[in-house]
Amino acid sequence: MRGGRHILWLKVLWVGTVVTALYLPIVSVVLASLANTRYMRFPHKVWTLDAYRAAAADYTTVTLHVISLQIAVCVVLLSVTLGTIGAMAYARHDWRGRGLFQKILVLPIFFPQPVLGLALLLSMSALGIAPSWKTAVVAHAVWIVPIVTLVISIRLFGYDVAQEEAAFDLGASRWQVAREVTLPALWPGIFSGALFAFLLSWSNLPLSVYTSGADTPLPLWLFSRTATNYSPLVPAIAVIGTCVSGLIVVMLLLMRRLLAGKNQPV
Amino acid sequence: MRRNPGFWYALPMIVLMLLFFAAPLAIVVWYSLMPPRTFDLTGDIGLQNYRTAFGDGYGVPLMWSLIGAALTTLITGLLAWPTAKILHHHAGRWASIVTALIALPIFISESVRLFGLSIFLMPGGGILAGTLNALFDVQIGTFLNTRFAALVGMIYIHFPFMLFPMLLGVAMIPADRIEAARDLGAGRWAVLREVELPLAAPGLLVGGLLTFVLCLGANAEAAILGGRAVTVITAAIEQRFNYAQDWPMGAALTVLVIAVTAALVFPAVRRIDLNRIIRR
Repeated sequence: MRGGRHILWLKVLWVGTVVTALYLPIVSVVLASLANTRYMRFPHKVWTLDAYRAAAADYTTVTLHVISLQIAVCVVLLSVTLGTIGAMAYARHDWRGRGLFQKILVLPIFFPQPVLGLALLLSMSALGIAPSWKTAVVAHAVWIVPIVTLVISIRLFGYDVAQEEAAFDLGASRWQVAREVTLPALWPGIFSGALFAFLLSWSNLPLSVYTSGADTPLPLWLFSRTATNYSPLVPAIAVIGTCVSGLIVVMLLLMRRLLAGKNQPV
Repeated sequence: MRRNPGFWYALPMIVLMLLFFAAPLAIVVWYSLMPPRTFDLTGDIGLQNYRTAFGDGYGVPLMWSLIGAALTTLITGLLAWPTAKILHHHAGRWASIVTALIALPIFISESVRLFGLSIFLMPGGGILAGTLNALFDVQIGTFLNTRFAALVGMIYIHFPFMLFPMLLGVAMIPADRIEAARDLGAGRWAVLREVELPLAAPGLLVGGLLTFVLCLGANAEAAILGGRAVTVITAAIEQRFNYAQDWPMGAALTVLVIAVTAALVFPAVRRIDLNRIIRR
């Protein structure tokens, strides 16, 4: 069985290489942020956190995060609301146009994002709407709402409609059924949908490039500053921005756990 | 007449898609028919921009984007297939950790990751070159600012988009089917071609389509890693809109990209039963 062992090692090596290759650039950003020279010469002569101090003192850091957060929060609210409603049509009810609806819904996902951004920019200019973070919300939503709808639909496919009928039989109103039966059952799907929406909006570059106007979200600022006017401040803000989104996700997960603990069925 | 509640639930989404997906695309199509260098939508309709698009060398950026997308789809597919097979075959704690590790970078902005790749590959004081120089006294060059670098960036960014649909596809292959084929004397190659690929086809199709379409619009890879070595179609369109101030021309090029996308996506979407894939 020596051959089998060799194959196992080869597999481990392969997967290890793939994961390493995916993370090397990310590690490189962290390493670059620890320099203090504009022109990078790795290994650094001086390893320092100066860039992080500069980033913390720079008001731009706050502005970038606020704009990204504004966009992401609006996208989450929009996509969770529309996604939950849309998922009912996608997975819960059987209706005449459903097959077509299911196919149309995925079209924005299978669409080149910068082209969508450009098309939105052009039509807004034609209508005299100035691009800003609000138009970026719309652009993100066109792409993220269908994704969130699919995420919630996965949960809804495994949902037993009989529970709702039982609640109706016991005299519950339409609103009560929605609040006490349907939404709690969908909650895990809605929550993952919200996480997806937040992370996808926070990290999106191609849609923001053309639609955010003078309001620059984080990824866009990083994109333009890597090309011109580079300094270790750029990787430092990249690291901070990524950590902030990670922290927000961890906080949401903790909040969910706390809420779940409180609402344990009596 | 009372409609089924399904329609009412679909309504908000239909409105969103009409207003912000279908309408903008229609406006772009309309713009592309306007006389060159005009800014309003009331000019005489004509196909002049399309004539210019094919006559004036815009075919080249479109060709680069198509070649880049095709190569990326092919190479990520070849890299993702063994990875998906391994992760599926050894499903368990380790495989879940590895899967999560591969998924995580999707949520880190591509501008951050491409920037990281560029400083990793940078000549002289880059992470790779600097480390090799300091540790082994080896000097290496770089392939940064070439078409190849842009391709590497596209493969790097889009690998997870190929892998995850492929994992779903691989999960659709019943293990006993492969064993049965082997018992009947099928070789490795025959099993792959006759059993595994056809059964995993929905996942492969979704992954391939997603990768190809995303690459067709990809711009950041060529901008950050490719230097000026290659102009992709999105860069050409952006240039028409911003610097040349020729919106109708930019719109005509956009319509060409949309047409290529539609020609690929419509037949595929008609064939794929997404319900079957996500229900699992």
